[in-house]
Amino acid sequence: MSSFRMRHPEEISLVRYLDGDLPAREARKVASHLESCSQCRAEFEALQSTVADCARYRQEVLAAMPAPPAEWRDLYRDFSRIDESLAHEPFLVRLARPLVHAGAPRWATAAAMAMLVVLGVFYQLRQTPSVQAATLLKRAIATAEAKPRPVHRIRVRTGKLDFTRVVGPQAPLASAATGPPVEALFNIEARFNQAHYDWNDPLSARSFEQWRDRQIHTTDEVSTVAAGYRIRTGAREGEIAEASITFEASDLMPVEERIEFRDNEWMELTEIAESTTESAGITVTPEVEVPVRAAEPPSRPAAFAPGPSASISDELQVLSALHEVEADLGDPVEVSLANGKVLVTGRAGLPPGRQQKIQAALANMPLVEMQFDSLQPAAIPPQAALSSAGGSATPRPVIQSRVEKQLGGRAEFEHFSAQILDSDEDAMKRVYALRTLAQKFPAESEPQLNAKDRELLTALSREHAAVLSQKASTLESLLLPTLSSLGGTAALAHAAPHAAWQSAVEDLFRSSTRVDKLVSIMLGMTPSDGSTASLPTDLLSALKDLQSNLDDCQRLMAK
Amino acid sequence: MAQLFADTREDLYRYLLTLGVHPPKAQESVQEVFLRLYSTLKKGEKIENIRGWLFRVAHNVGLKVRARQASEEAFAPELEIRLTHPAMNPERELLERERMLRFHSAVEGLSEQQKRCLFLRLEGLRYPEIASTLGISASAVGEFLRRALARLKKVRDE
Repeated sequence: MSSFRMRHPEEISLVRYLDGDLPAREARKVASHLESCSQCRAEFEALQSTVADCARYRQEVLAAMPAPPAEWRDLYRDFSRIDESLAHEPFLVRLARPLVHAGAPRWATAAAMAMLVVLGVFYQLRQTPSVQAATLLKRAIATAEAKPRPVHRIRVRTGKLDFTRVVGPQAPLASAATGPPVEALFNIEARFNQAHYDWNDPLSARSFEQWRDRQIHTTDEVSTVAAGYRIRTGAREGEIAEASITFEASDLMPVEERIEFRDNEWMELTEIAESTTESAGITVTPEVEVPVRAAEPPSRPAAFAPGPSASISDELQVLSALHEVEADLGDPVEVSLANGKVLVTGRAGLPPGRQQKIQAALANMPLVEMQFDSLQPAAIPPQAALSSAGGSATPRPVIQSRVEKQLGGRAEFEHFSAQILDSDEDAMKRVYALRTLAQKFPAESEPQLNAKDRELLTALSREHAAVLSQKASTLESLLLPTLSSLGGTAALAHAAPHAAWQSAVEDLFRSSTRVDKLVSIMLGMTPSDGSTASLPTDLLSALKDLQSNLDDCQRLMAK
Repeated sequence: MAQLFADTREDLYRYLLTLGVHPPKAQESVQEVFLRLYSTLKKGEKIENIRGWLFRVAHNVGLKVRARQASEEAFAPELEIRLTHPAMNPERELLERERMLRFHSAVEGLSEQQKRCLFLRLEGLRYPEIASTLGISASAVGEFLRRALARLKKVRDE
């Protein structure tokens, strides 16, 4: 490097010189060499114009990209919320976990993974309760819009009154069903108007958000409660001092709300579980004047419709047909027996293309009724998959750094992480599908199936188990080298004996969700709730458990 | 901050599109990047080159988004058509369009790391910044850029 004057600088030095990356002394040497050497000067100029071409080309490419699909958000509101509550630590740890690992609907793996990732970001962002609250509200609104409820009833309680109210866009105008004198209602309405709180639909995420957005100084608190998630927002000014709303964990429907007025009066709103109104689903089969349908899929064989009634055998056929188009692997589709039919419900988030496929797959099947919640592919996790990423600002969990170091760098980690997530996701889809089968067709129901059906059930479950086994092996072979070199060793697997594969699936489900959770902690996608020092061992052991549970299942299936 | 957001958001958004992120997610990601910037600054951390920081974080967010949408196709608008379609660039001469196209296929032929280094450099990031974005050393960045430029230079000379 010391003899630039004699020797021509290497191309790399020219590139670095061009980019201003050379230390001053070396840069001076290159500069003086270029002055005196026309050959190098020509080379340097060629580099320069290549860079200029690149820049022009890049401009073209960037200009050819489509414009942003939506208006840019006004970030100031988010900023001021960050300001307000920077002091508080997030507890998304708790928020994230039940969303994914407690009673997650069978189909929800993909969405839940995405959610996890979203929540992961917020955690890493050190996201403040106010941003959590805003996010939760946004999601609840998206869900509510995807699944509008034309009419629903709420119970309204104040210090003096207790009555039922019918609300919603299609509610009858004179909606006070019973009870309170007109002027009392009138006063309440006036009060809500003054508070800028929408009295037409008070128990809704949107009304809550609209009120909250109008407040200049708010403090938020987000917590998990038995019923689901609760947002409590205090306001420094205005008629309402504090409002809290609780959302159901599974579907983010608002279930209760409490409003504290500045003068110490209060109001409580509670959703009354509906049995008479039906969601605005699109019913594909036009027949029947559908009588009363329970909001929840009723317990099985419910046969009171006239004519032939669907049995679990029909249900199995439907599941099998859905499997043909892979609609049992992660699509938000649920199957249940109701009113003598096999009810297939596609929830919001199902893309129209998938919906058509499912409709086609089930078109010729008798006794099937399809409902699709919404035509618009409403985003259940609105910003699907953002994730952690290292800015200098975000301290990465220790385990993630260790894995990254072990792998040899960031790029390797990204690659590793993408591979693992793919296998994990595929595996989890199968686990959920298998669990659906096990729950719908428990061992004691098998006598109700004929030989052919039993064969079909076995074939379906074996297929899921086989793919799961393959994905689990892939996961293990991806994880084993890295985790072992981080000191991880698999503990002995312990499998409780089962009499039928259906009951063994529950154990399998537990070990799989544990693997799933540990994987996402390892990849920094969900915050860990403690030290990650033992993660290599925990994960390898969980994988081993999974394998052994799966062996057990497969052995029982082979019987 | 508002000014910075207004000035930079489209650049970041378009950059994310070139990583294969779909437009709605790209836009959402950009907003998240700014929220992250805001809280980082609020916490009193120093950021020397804000634009570099923004691209670095956006890049990482973008890759994660891409990893998560693995089952979907990457966002890949038909650049060949857009770049050469006369209506898109009425003033552009035929020759120039052909040159762009040649350049385009040469760029497509670069390795993933070469491309990333090149694009980040064109966004004004310095070697150390590119290096920490990609998790490689600064001298590796130089080397990737050298190879990329050497290859693209050939296209010019053709």
